[in-house]
Amino acid sequence: MSVATAKERPNTNTPRSVVVEGNEAAAIGVGLSRPDVVAVYPITPQSSLVEHISQMIADGRLNASLMNVEGEHAVLNGLQGVALAGGRTFTATSGPGIAFMFEPYVRTPGLRLPMVASLVTRDLLSPQCVWGGQQDAMVVREAGWIQMHCETVQEILDTTVMAYKIAEHRDVMLPVNVCHDGNYLSFGVTRVELPEQEQVDKFLGPAATNWHIALDPLRPMGVDPLTGGSGGPGARNFVRYRKGECRGMQNALRVISEVHAEWAERFGRSHAPLIEEYRLDDADYALVTIGGMTGAAKDAVDIARDQGEAVGLIKVKTFRPFPLEAMTKALAKVNRVGVVDRSVSFGWNSGPVYAETLGALYHTGKPIPAVSFIGGLAGADITAEHFARAIALTRDLKWQSGPREPVWLNEND
Amino acid sequence: MHSKYLIVGSSHAALEGATAIRLIDSDGTLAMLTRDARLPYSPTILPYVVSGRSRPDKVKLRDESYFRANAIDFVSDATVASLDPAQQSLCLVSGETRRYDKLLIATGAAPALPPVPGLREVPYHVLRSMNDAVGLHEAMQHAKSALVLGAGLIGMHAAENMAEARIGVCVVEMQRHALSGYFEPRASTIIERTFTRNGIRMLMGRTLQRVERAGEGCRATLSDGSTIEADLLLVCTGVKPNMDFLAGSGIETEAGILVDDRMRTSAPNVWAAGDVAQARGFWGDKVLNGILPNAVEQGRIAGLDMADDAGLQPFPGAVPLNTYSFFGQQAISVGRAHADDGVDVKESGDDDKGVYRRIALKDGKLIGIATINDFIDAGVMWQLILRGTDLSAVRDKFIADPMLTGRQLMSQTWR
Amino acid sequence: MAKCFSTLQFHPERCDGCIECMTACAQAKAGTDDLRFSRIRILPSINGSGHELALCRQCADPVCVMNCPSGALTKNADTGVVDWAGDKCVDCLLCTAGCAYAGIVYEAEVGHVSKCDMCDGAPACVAACKNGALEHRTEARLFNGFAEKEDMFCPGLAACHGCNSELLIRHTMRMVGPDSVVAAPPGCIPGMGTVGYNGQTGAKVPIFHSLLTNTATMLAGVKMQYNRVGREVIAVALSGDGGTADAGFQSVSGAAERNDPILFICVDNEGYMNTGMQASGVTPYGSWSSTTPVGGAMQGKRTEAKNLPVIMTMHNCSYVATASPAFLEDYYAKLAKAIEVSKTGMAYLHVYTPCPTGWRFPSSMTTEVCRMQVRTNFVALWEYDPENGLRFTHKVDRPEPVSNYLKMIGKYRHLSEEQVAHIQRTVDDKIAYLDQLTKIETHAAASAH
Repeated sequence: MSVATAKERPNTNTPRSVVVEGNEAAAIGVGLSRPDVVAVYPITPQSSLVEHISQMIADGRLNASLMNVEGEHAVLNGLQGVALAGGRTFTATSGPGIAFMFEPYVRTPGLRLPMVASLVTRDLLSPQCVWGGQQDAMVVREAGWIQMHCETVQEILDTTVMAYKIAEHRDVMLPVNVCHDGNYLSFGVTRVELPEQEQVDKFLGPAATNWHIALDPLRPMGVDPLTGGSGGPGARNFVRYRKGECRGMQNALRVISEVHAEWAERFGRSHAPLIEEYRLDDADYALVTIGGMTGAAKDAVDIARDQGEAVGLIKVKTFRPFPLEAMTKALAKVNRVGVVDRSVSFGWNSGPVYAETLGALYHTGKPIPAVSFIGGLAGADITAEHFARAIALTRDLKWQSGPREPVWLNEND
Repeated sequence: MHSKYLIVGSSHAALEGATAIRLIDSDGTLAMLTRDARLPYSPTILPYVVSGRSRPDKVKLRDESYFRANAIDFVSDATVASLDPAQQSLCLVSGETRRYDKLLIATGAAPALPPVPGLREVPYHVLRSMNDAVGLHEAMQHAKSALVLGAGLIGMHAAENMAEARIGVCVVEMQRHALSGYFEPRASTIIERTFTRNGIRMLMGRTLQRVERAGEGCRATLSDGSTIEADLLLVCTGVKPNMDFLAGSGIETEAGILVDDRMRTSAPNVWAAGDVAQARGFWGDKVLNGILPNAVEQGRIAGLDMADDAGLQPFPGAVPLNTYSFFGQQAISVGRAHADDGVDVKESGDDDKGVYRRIALKDGKLIGIATINDFIDAGVMWQLILRGTDLSAVRDKFIADPMLTGRQLMSQTWR
Repeated sequence: MAKCFSTLQFHPERCDGCIECMTACAQAKAGTDDLRFSRIRILPSINGSGHELALCRQCADPVCVMNCPSGALTKNADTGVVDWAGDKCVDCLLCTAGCAYAGIVYEAEVGHVSKCDMCDGAPACVAACKNGALEHRTEARLFNGFAEKEDMFCPGLAACHGCNSELLIRHTMRMVGPDSVVAAPPGCIPGMGTVGYNGQTGAKVPIFHSLLTNTATMLAGVKMQYNRVGREVIAVALSGDGGTADAGFQSVSGAAERNDPILFICVDNEGYMNTGMQASGVTPYGSWSSTTPVGGAMQGKRTEAKNLPVIMTMHNCSYVATASPAFLEDYYAKLAKAIEVSKTGMAYLHVYTPCPTGWRFPSSMTTEVCRMQVRTNFVALWEYDPENGLRFTHKVDRPEPVSNYLKMIGKYRHLSEEQVAHIQRTVDDKIAYLDQLTKIETHAAASAH
């Protein structure tokens, strides 16, 4: 097996694996997906991602147009134009970038534009902070974008390619954020295996971004005319569109699973599409994790298992749409659950994944003790030791006697 | 039959009404009924048909292509018998019923016959329709002598035509002077003298006592006791509006159909314009103002109002106006040049050379001007009157050269 | 559709009374120097200090024609000339009663009425005028050309009474044509229904209700994709001043800096008129608006308008121009350039479009207000490209005082004398500044590009 950095990799004679950071893995995934236009604007810890793509375009390794715009807001606006004209698009952002992007961001799903953007997750200001955390992703979780959170650098690459297939699926037609943790995954360097371009081309097929709405003189239409009002056709139309978005989201659950299965078949690498159950079947209690923290959490579970603890793990990959059915099934297997978040739900005084896990628990018909852990904010490391504490606390949960407050894992680091 | 717009009549007021409607409403159904058998023509052209200068088939005001292009249903030989404003319908002599949303009455006027004993028993001519003109032209081919009753514009025109055709003509006029509606005695005298010089007997201030048949022609006895024999008798003693069919309709009439400044009659959805309408005079009471420019303006206002034109400028009031050519000379009268009640009047000219000018100003504003063989722009003068242009500062210049001063003033307004 | 026609324009300020035009007319029409045969008449002014004109205006609704009983006068549907047929004329002179300007008159020597016939499209009087006081205006060809082009908007757009924006966008898109994509950010232009309502469109071209903030960049994206696939599509922004100068400025500035190949048209009505007349960054000093009200402590806007088109020139994008709907031929010329330029770089047109509703003036006066903006130099008409720099396209030699403009507009009703004087100073300064820009030698800049 030959190993080379992506920069040295010639366009032909593709090596089968490279050693790259997470951001470059995403860039490779983008390159393989052959977008028409990539819009770039720097922000830590995302910048190297678009730098890698810019270099690929500069080198001629990627035949895409580079849009150097004046801010994240413009990034998404420009790409909406491209998508409405029929092009496949990519961009990446992070933290305050998505805050600035918010106005066109919330509009993208309503326009049903199947755009793919990396969200290199970062905590939001203030306090001032440039480090990892998932507060950005959690804040925009009701914007209508599909959110898939990656655990490994390889998963970033693979999910980035799969994201196009999911977004552009006729039953979905929604934008996808491929999320990976700032710092830990964005700059974490590992070896990744590279899919063959030809195989990816076959897997993705041609872009299909504007068959439903278009800014195209060959089929002129008014895109997004005014609608709504206190009653009548305006209100009715609006409901029709909103319901359509919700239906697309629910369809995405099926499509994400199908696409992951096809990926495994074609490329021999399998990733859990919605949630991953880890050592759960014989577990008495479980942790719920999301994103890059899961590796350390699995180590902690393994250690606890070695010590005789009946602990398992549920990893959320697809957070939007929320995989309710899969979560309900998984939660039904255990009697206590601890949910580890890298962000905060200010409204519930807990982690947001925790709050949503409680929602899924309702569907199990079996109320069980649960606790919210919040860790890894602002770039803090959640180590196996932190998880060991979480496992111990979860094991000891009793109905209605557990902590009402979230447990802040890094509070005393 | 129903149409959104129905116009009765086909001369100037009717045609401008139709054109105005089509400016605003290109789709609404529009029908135009005329009692005549011909395409539209102007009553003003008739003396020229009589003289042979204009051929009857060359004086159409509109042809079929106009009606086609403007989607106007032009119906000839259609005489209205009665109108029912409540039902918004009118009945034709043929028995046909026509319904409308909006109706414009532009039926014009017909010759008014004086109550002269024997008149209806002798062959006589009038001159109001093309058939009249053609008939008169025919009759002139055989006549040696003619008696013209009435020295208004039509009578004077016809007398001139007959004189040119070497017919011995005698004009009898009840008033003391010819054209007394437009000119004061001094001007009329200049015109009468020209007629006399051209061999026409001008018997002013006389009426007809009696007419009787004499051979193919007639013999007339005048109020002064004299008698005149003529091969041809032409009666031009004025006109009366064609509005008999309004009997029982409830529409208010006096001398004509009473209209407001938008040409609306007393009945909803009924307008009237032109010689049939009695509209506000520029200086006061409602008047008949049977002149062509008046018909044009009223027809246009009526049409715009019928089509709900938001920018309609209402009728400014009727101003008498005429341009009159006789024996190669020109007489022009605008407004009340003959007025003499508290008016600043300037008269000038040379009666022997047939040159005349009279200007009447009141409070520094022009109220009338008349000239003979001294050209002025009637349209300019008309505007100076209508706009109430204050001439105080340029009075002397205007008196000295009304044509130049008028042009200068109007040029300024155009910038 | 009604046609427009060429016409003769008289510039009295250029006329020295030489009456060469009259001689030329008499020669052309009667082969004589006898001026009584001239159909154009130059007259001394009534106060003796200038000249007046008596000439047929070839009216659109000629009363002379209406007054003609013989069918001798007709309005020629092809040329627009009021034609006179001598063989039908009966010399009744009723036509002269229809003309307020002595355009058709009787001359005893001529023997009947005579009037200008425009010399079959090559007026002899214009050729004879040394001073340019008579001008043969042939822009009608341009208007007719426009009339023949397809209107790219549906009938029944619901702009306010007297609004020039609808006129502007209809004319603009006629020239741009169907191979285009339009973006209209929130404001009066989508508000009048261009993008449509409830799934129905108001335009015949693809049109997008872009965000207030993103129009330029969004269009740049559209254009970029069509360039990739090799299709020529004109990308047009029809934006208000808020979507250009305020919230939209970052996007506009970015696109201009990148010289994105789009045509960006700012329809400047000096504020957020669609949302209730709030002030924007280009609302002028002193102006009342619903967010710069007039009261004891505040008398309208306290700061100046930013000069957005000048700022745009500082981006070195391919073309920048200002325009006024009262000077449409000037606008057409600039629009034609802008369309061409937008195929490769950014063209920015800033059109000053007064708002009768929000500025408080009668809806019938919009075009007069536009004219007065230019006559007072409140609005300057110019164009810029990096190679040739800035130049005036309609220099006003003797501007009227800005107060003549301000007093037409209700939103300036409260202004004190000091405020008016202040506005006059800023107008003078603006023109002086633009004047300096016109004098910059740009050859070096040109070769550097």
